[in-house]
Amino acid sequence: MAMKKLLKLFLLIVLLCCGCEDRIDQPLSSVETGSIVVEAHFTNENKNQLVKLTKPYLEQNGSVVPVSGATVVVVEGADTFYPLVETPAGSGEYFTSNMIAVFGRVYTLVIRHQGGEFVAQARSVPVEPLSPLTYENAGNDQYRLMLNESGSESNYIEYELSWADTPVCNPGTNCLGLVTYYDLKNVDVQDLFKPDKKDFLFPVGTRVIRRKYSVAPEYRDFLRSVLSETEWRGGIFDIQRANASGNVSGALGFFAVSSVQIDTTFIVDKP
Amino acid sequence: MLIYFKHLSWRQIAFCCLVGMLASLRVHAQQDRLSQQISVTFDNLAFEEVIHVLEEQTGLSFSFNPNRIDLSQKLTYQATAKRVDEVLREISSLVDVSLEVVEGTVILKPRTNSPEIKKKLVTLSGYIFDAANGEALIGATVLLSPQLGVVTNAYGFYSITVEPGEYEISFSYLGFERKSMRLNLKQSDTHSVKLNSQSPLLEEIVVTASNTEDVAHVVSEGRTQLKPETVSEKPSLFGEADAVKSLEMIPGIKLHSDGSTFYYVRGGDRDQNLIMIDDAPVYNPNHLLGLFSTIIPEAVNDIQLYKGNMPAWLGGRLSSMMDVRTKKGNDQNFEASGGVGLLTTRLTVEGPLTKDKSSFLLSGRFSRVKWFFKALEDNITKFHFYDLTGKLNFSLNEKNKIYFSFYNGGDEYFAINNGVNWSNNAASFRWNHLINKRVFLNTTLAGGVYDYYLHTNFQNNAKWHSHLSNITLKTDFTYFHSPIQKIDFGLALTGYNFNPGNFSTTAFRAPAVSVRNSSELVLYGNHEVELGKRWLLNYGLRLSTWTNEGGSFEFVFDENRIPVDTLFFQKGDKYQQYARAEPRLSLTYKVNGNDVLTAGVSRNIQNIHLISNSISPFTSFEVWLPSSVNIRPQSALQFELGYYKNILEGLSFEVEGFFKRMRNQIDYEAHAETLLNPLFERELRFGKGVSYGAEFLLRKNTGKLQGLLGYTYSRAKRTFSEINEGRTFNAFYDRPHQVNIVANYNVNQRWTLGLNWTYYTGAPYSSPISFYLHNGLEVPVYGQKNNSRLPDYHRLDLSATLQLNKNSESRFQHDLTFSVYNAYARKNTLFINYNKTETADGTFKVPFNQLDGQRVTTQFYLFQFTPSFTYNFRWR
Repeated sequence: MAMKKLLKLFLLIVLLCCGCEDRIDQPLSSVETGSIVVEAHFTNENKNQLVKLTKPYLEQNGSVVPVSGATVVVVEGADTFYPLVETPAGSGEYFTSNMIAVFGRVYTLVIRHQGGEFVAQARSVPVEPLSPLTYENAGNDQYRLMLNESGSESNYIEYELSWADTPVCNPGTNCLGLVTYYDLKNVDVQDLFKPDKKDFLFPVGTRVIRRKYSVAPEYRDFLRSVLSETEWRGGIFDIQRANASGNVSGALGFFAVSSVQIDTTFIVDKP
Repeated sequence: MLIYFKHLSWRQIAFCCLVGMLASLRVHAQQDRLSQQISVTFDNLAFEEVIHVLEEQTGLSFSFNPNRIDLSQKLTYQATAKRVDEVLREISSLVDVSLEVVEGTVILKPRTNSPEIKKKLVTLSGYIFDAANGEALIGATVLLSPQLGVVTNAYGFYSITVEPGEYEISFSYLGFERKSMRLNLKQSDTHSVKLNSQSPLLEEIVVTASNTEDVAHVVSEGRTQLKPETVSEKPSLFGEADAVKSLEMIPGIKLHSDGSTFYYVRGGDRDQNLIMIDDAPVYNPNHLLGLFSTIIPEAVNDIQLYKGNMPAWLGGRLSSMMDVRTKKGNDQNFEASGGVGLLTTRLTVEGPLTKDKSSFLLSGRFSRVKWFFKALEDNITKFHFYDLTGKLNFSLNEKNKIYFSFYNGGDEYFAINNGVNWSNNAASFRWNHLINKRVFLNTTLAGGVYDYYLHTNFQNNAKWHSHLSNITLKTDFTYFHSPIQKIDFGLALTGYNFNPGNFSTTAFRAPAVSVRNSSELVLYGNHEVELGKRWLLNYGLRLSTWTNEGGSFEFVFDENRIPVDTLFFQKGDKYQQYARAEPRLSLTYKVNGNDVLTAGVSRNIQNIHLISNSISPFTSFEVWLPSSVNIRPQSALQFELGYYKNILEGLSFEVEGFFKRMRNQIDYEAHAETLLNPLFERELRFGKGVSYGAEFLLRKNTGKLQGLLGYTYSRAKRTFSEINEGRTFNAFYDRPHQVNIVANYNVNQRWTLGLNWTYYTGAPYSSPISFYLHNGLEVPVYGQKNNSRLPDYHRLDLSATLQLNKNSESRFQHDLTFSVYNAYARKNTLFINYNKTETADGTFKVPFNQLDGQRVTTQFYLFQFTPSFTYNFRWR
C-alpha cells in the first residue's frame, strides 16, 4: 500500500504533464521465425502433467497455433522416463501418465520436432503455506480481491474464480475469472511504478480456488522478465524491452517445476 | 647632467671625462645626499621632468641613454620625508628601470631581465565588463588590427603583447556597442573597458562571432555560446525558462522527449554530458522528474556548450560540457528581478558591497505546485522544488579577485508515510591572480553533491539512498604569449565518493552494495597559435589517472559472470588504476574576411558512468559508478570538419560534419536488475558505438526579425557482442533528421513575438514481431533490437511578450508573456504499449482478470496545447 501511495505521487506529477493514453495504429513488424513455444509447469500434484507446444502468433490476441507431432519425454533424475502423449492429436498438448514432480529431484524435458531437439532442466523448491484469502466489499454487492505479499520466498498465487452457479450469473455470460498474483520478492523500479490494473469485481457466492506455486530461482528470473514485458510495462519508469529468456534451449517459453498449495473459498457477505 | 650617447664625438667624450673627474671629487658629499630625506610629489609628470626635479632637490646627477629609456612616460608618485635612495628605488620600479650609483652618479638602465625589453614588446591587459552591472563579458574580442586580436577568458580577462607603437584598438562583444580608441602603447599598460549593451532589437539568439577572427577562435575550441536572455525569451513549457531544454535549438543536440531534461549530443549517451555551474558539477539537473531543469537563467551570466573539439582544460565526459557561469552580481547598483509563472516564483537580488570592488547575488526559485496537488490527493505532506544560487566576489586589487558561489536545489514529494526527495549542491571558491600582465592564474576549489532518497516507510526509517559527490582542487594558468599565441596549462585533483544505492531500515538487513571512492589527477596543456595570417592551430594534451581507493569491496566474475571471488580493500588501499591520454587538435583556416574552414580531432575519456536501463524520460533511481575492476573507462575519438560563412551583416551560415567512435559503451543484460543488487556489475555489457552526421545552421542576428534555421542529419549506432546477437543496432537517440526553427520578431518597443518549431525523426524502439502465452500473459517476442520507430516528433511553440512600461528608461521594468507550448496539439508519442485493454470509461488498463478483454496497442503522450502566463519584473 505504501508503494501505491508513492505511485500516486508520481502519477500526480505525470498528471501535471497532461499525460494521456489512447489507441494508436502502429503496424507491427511481424516476422515468422519458426520458433516453438514451450509452456510446461509440473507440480507435486498427482496428475497427468502437461507440456504445451505452440508457435508464436503474429498479431495481438492472435490464435494459438499448436505444434503437433513432436516427441516429448521427461526424465526424472537419471533413469526414470515419462513419455508424453499428444491428447487429443493435433492439440499440441502433451500429457504424462499420472505422476508427481517431487521436490529435490531434477527433471529434464526433451522435445524433438522436425529435426530439432529442445532441452530444459528444472527442479522445484518448497512452497510456503497459503495465508487466508482476503477480499473487500466494493459496494453494490460486489467484491474485490485484496492481494498481498506472503511468506519469505518467491511464489505466485493463481486465483480461479467462478460465479457461474450464483443467481447473478446471466445465462450466456462468462462468469469466470483468472487472476495471478506474482510475489517474486524483487525490487524493480518498473514493478514499483507499474500501471494500474482494471478493476475486477465478483459477487457473493463466488468460488475461489487458489493455487500457490513455489518459484525456483531460475523460474523467478523468467517470470520477472515476462512481467517486465507484460503487467509491469506501461508505467512511467519502463526499462529497455527484451525477450524473456527461458530455460528451453532453442525455444521460447519455460519448463518449470513447482510445489503447490491449494485451497478453495466461497465469498461470503461481509460489510 | 651627463648623458651617454652611443656614438659620441671625441670632443664630447673628452667633455664627459672632464665632467666625470670633477664629479668624482664630490663622491662623499653625494653619498651623504643618498641618505638625506626629501619630500616630492609628482602628478602625472613626464619622467624627464622627474629627473630634473630630483637633480635639483638632491644635487645628484643622472646618467642614461635616452634611446633606451622612455623619458616621456608619465609618473605619479609621492614621498614625504623619505631617504633619497629609497625614493630612487621606488621610482625606478615604477618606470621599469634599474639604477646604479657609481661614484656619485645615478646610472639609469632598462631592466635587462624584462622580456618586454629583450623583445621590445609591451603588454596591454585588462578586463572587459558590462557597463550596466559590471559582469565580466566572456569571449569578448579585443582587436588591434583586422588580423590581430584576442578574446577574453571565462573571467573577462584579456592580454595582448605587441611591439610598442600606436594602435587603433577596438573592444567588442555581441549585443554590446563596440568601443574603439587610439592607444600609444609605449609600455605595458592595463586597460579595463566597460561596454554598453545595444538596443534589445539587436540582441542575438545564439551567440556566435561576427567576424572571421572571432569565428576562428570560437570554432577552434568547439564551443557554442547560449545567452541567458535567449533562454528567457524562448517560448517554454509553463512559461518556465529552461537552459537545458533550450539546447534543442542547437544542431546536434537531441532532447529525450517531452517532459525530460535528458539530452544527447552527437550520438553519445545522456551520461556523457556534464553541466557545471562555476566549475562545480551538477549531476541531476532536473525538477519534477525532469519537467524543468535546475538552472535559473536570471542568475546566469554566460553558458558555453562544448560539443566538438573541447580544449584540453575540459574533460571528464565523452560528448559535451555545458559551462554555466553565474553572474557575479551588479557592482554598480542594487538591482532586483523576478517573476511569477503558473508553477513557480522567482526572485533575484544583486548589488555592490563596495562599488567597483565587490558585489553579491542571491537568486531563488520556489515552486507553488503543492496547492494544486493537495486538492487532488489528501495524503500529500510535501510537494515542492526549489533552487537557490548565490555568489560573492571581491576585487582585492588589480591582481587579485576572489569569487565564492553556491547552488542548492532540491525536490521533495512526500505522502504521510513515504516519499522521494533528491538534492543537488554545488559550491566553488575561485581565486584569480595576475602573476604578471601576461600570465593569468585561476585556482578553484569546487565540489558537487547529489543525493537521492526513496522513503518507503518513515516509521521505521526505511529508505533507499544513492549518492555521488566530488571535491576538486585545480589550478589553471593562461599565458598570453603574444597576440598569436596563447598557452593554457594546469592540473586538477578530484576525489569522488559513490554510493550506488543502498536500502536501510530498522526492520531488516538489506544486502549491501559497496560504496566506492576514487581519485583523479589531471594534467593538461593547450597551445593556440596563429600560423601566418590565415591559419590557427589549437592543440593540447590532457593526461588523467584514475585511482580507486578502499574501503570497498569488488566482485570478481568468471566468463559466465558467476562471482568467483570478493576483493576487500581497506580504507586507503589503492587499486585498479587507469591512466589515459586525451590529445586534441584543431586547425582553422581563414579563407577570407567572411569564410572559415576548420578540421579537428579529439579524444575524450570518461571515468564515471550512469547505471540505468530505463527508457523513461523521467529521472528515476539512477546510480553512478566509477571505472573500476569490472568497468573500464569509456573513450571517444571524434573527427570534425566545419565551414562558416558570414553571408551578409548579421546573416551567417555554418555546417559541421562529425564522425565519432566510442569504446567501452555500457548496455545491459535483458531485464537487468540494477537496484539493490550487489552483483549488478554482472548485468552490464560492454560494446562500441559509432555516430556521424552533418549539422547545418543559418542564422539571422540583426533586425526586427531574428532567428535561426537548423537541420541535422545524424546517425548513432551501437554494437555489443552479447546484445542483438552481436549485430549493430540503432541507439535510442538515433533520429536521423532534425529541423529547428527559432524566430523572434520585435513588433515595436513594447511587443515581441516568438516562435519555435522542432521536428525530428521518431526514436527507435523494439516492437514485437510476434507473441506467445505464458500463464495467460501475452508475452511479446522481439526480433532485432530497436527495429521500429515511434511516430515523428514535431511541435510548435508561440509566445508574445508585452513590455508593460511605456517608458523604456524607467527604473522599474516589467513585462507579461503569454506562451503556448505545442500550439497545434500534436500527440507526440512517448511510449507504445501492447498490454492494455480498454475500460468502459475509455481509459486503458492492464487487465486484472486474465480472461477479460482484448489487448490493444496504445500510445502515451504528454503536453498537448499548453498555454501559460508569466509576469517578469526588473528594478534597478
